[in-house]
Amino acid sequence: MTRYLDGWMLPALDEANREFFTSGKIVVRECRGCQTIQHPPEDLCYRCGGYEFGGREVAGTGTIYSHTVIRHPVHPKLSERLPYTVVLVSLDELPDVRITGNLLEAAPEDVRVGLAVRAVWEEIPDPETGDVLRLPQWVPA
Amino acid sequence: MQRRTAVAGVGESEFFKRGGASETEFQLACKAIRRAVEDAGLKLSDVDGIVSYMDARNNPVRLSAALGLSRIEFTGQTFGGGGNGAASAVMIADAAISAGYAETIVVFRALAQGQFGRFGQAGFGYSAGRNVVPGPQAFTVPYGLVTAAQINAVQTVRFMHEHAVTQDSLFEVAFVAYDNAQRNPRALRRGSPITREDYDESRWIAEPFHLFDCCPENDGASAIVVTTVERARDLAKGAVPILAAAQGLEHRGGVDGFNEAPFPTAHFRHVGESLWSRAGVSPKDVPVAQFYENFTGPVLMAISEMGFCPPDDLEKWVTAGSLRWPNGELPINTSGGNLGEAYIHGFGLVNEAVRQIRGESTSQVEGAELSLMVAGPGYAPGSAVLFCRD
Ligand SMILES: [Zn+2]
Repeated sequence: MTRYLDGWMLPALDEANREFFTSGKIVVRECRGCQTIQHPPEDLCYRCGGYEFGGREVAGTGTIYSHTVIRHPVHPKLSERLPYTVVLVSLDELPDVRITGNLLEAAPEDVRVGLAVRAVWEEIPDPETGDVLRLPQWVPA
Repeated sequence: MQRRTAVAGVGESEFFKRGGASETEFQLACKAIRRAVEDAGLKLSDVDGIVSYMDARNNPVRLSAALGLSRIEFTGQTFGGGGNGAASAVMIADAAISAGYAETIVVFRALAQGQFGRFGQAGFGYSAGRNVVPGPQAFTVPYGLVTAAQINAVQTVRFMHEHAVTQDSLFEVAFVAYDNAQRNPRALRRGSPITREDYDESRWIAEPFHLFDCCPENDGASAIVVTTVERARDLAKGAVPILAAAQGLEHRGGVDGFNEAPFPTAHFRHVGESLWSRAGVSPKDVPVAQFYENFTGPVLMAISEMGFCPPDDLEKWVTAGSLRWPNGELPINTSGGNLGEAYIHGFGLVNEAVRQIRGESTSQVEGAELSLMVAGPGYAPGSAVLFCRD
């Protein structure tokens, strides 16, 4: 599918976010020592201080925790996309983890706190690095 | 703390629309500092300390050289962030003078965004030549969540949802600023009051923020002189003592991507607790306050977290006109604030809080014995400072 914010900035991949942005699944970082979920990633676990993290895969379902509809351009590349909807999604399996995304396949008027959503992925090849990004996005469940 | 130090002088440059200053940011900074020192009846050579926040450009080396500050003993700033440091800068000066490291400290902030670019634009050079964003912002910026207005909109929507706050309350925060600005000759929005109709019809920026919910970006500088209470008493304008100051950061407060718990917060929950405990007074004793408005929603969050009104009662309390001058229970932003006077990264609100104690405000709360300044909400750590009558 065409990217919702086509042409706009992409995440720079690093060791800590590669799985989140390329796996095509909702995978968040989990401390190997104490299993605390750490999103977004940090260099050491905020509970036990550990340095080792693995990926924890969870279902790509959640509810909208908060949102905004953006109607004022802040960059020429975003101007033609207006209005666009940014959502904060609380994951069903990890309600304290909130994922930022866009709400696709819905009008700006349809966004509301509590709306059930499921993840879909935007596939974006990066010719420069050979990586294929899979950007999690959200649609009404 | 507790009346050991006091503000002896306040000063500001002229204020300009963004990019409208005929002077450089550094010239504006020097002008505001000179005026604050003159207002105190001091000489520049009396200044032995310099404090600011989020300001690397107008640094002590340049200031000392340009202003002839012959012996600087103390400099300081808070970490990064933004307007949340406006009151903690005053706190640093208070702490340094209380500790005896300096006697007369200038605290200031200068902005010329025409010269140096804007906060509110996505003009960032994150990664030269590549269309990518690294670090924690990789989880937000690619979704078009870029500016402070947008980020604060996400916080505000959740806050409004949880506490049944409506656009009516947001409007009140905007309205009082524009209304108070009409009486203030320094205010850039003087002559441009807003009605509810103007507000509703102004364009959306990021819902729930209309244009009038968002602070403008301006050019100018503001400064104060802090010294010991004893010294201030002997100076031209007398002492406006610092009764208490506080900063606050909860565990994981301000963590990126809205993953702090609890969310949303303006980062003032324990700023309020600490401030009232240090001052020995409570919110109901405070007759006037200046709340940094980046956007109207976070102001409401800060008012609540500082202890003025439980969040579930905000809508009723605010829409009853409680924030309006002169008859509201807590008139706020009596100079016009960031929205109506000028956005000098919030430091104009510090000057106004001092003026309320002096009786010099153009929207004076008669006989104010206490005057509160609360710095930028929604960015951690939060900070606040409480001035009192000597
Ligand atoms: Zn751990």
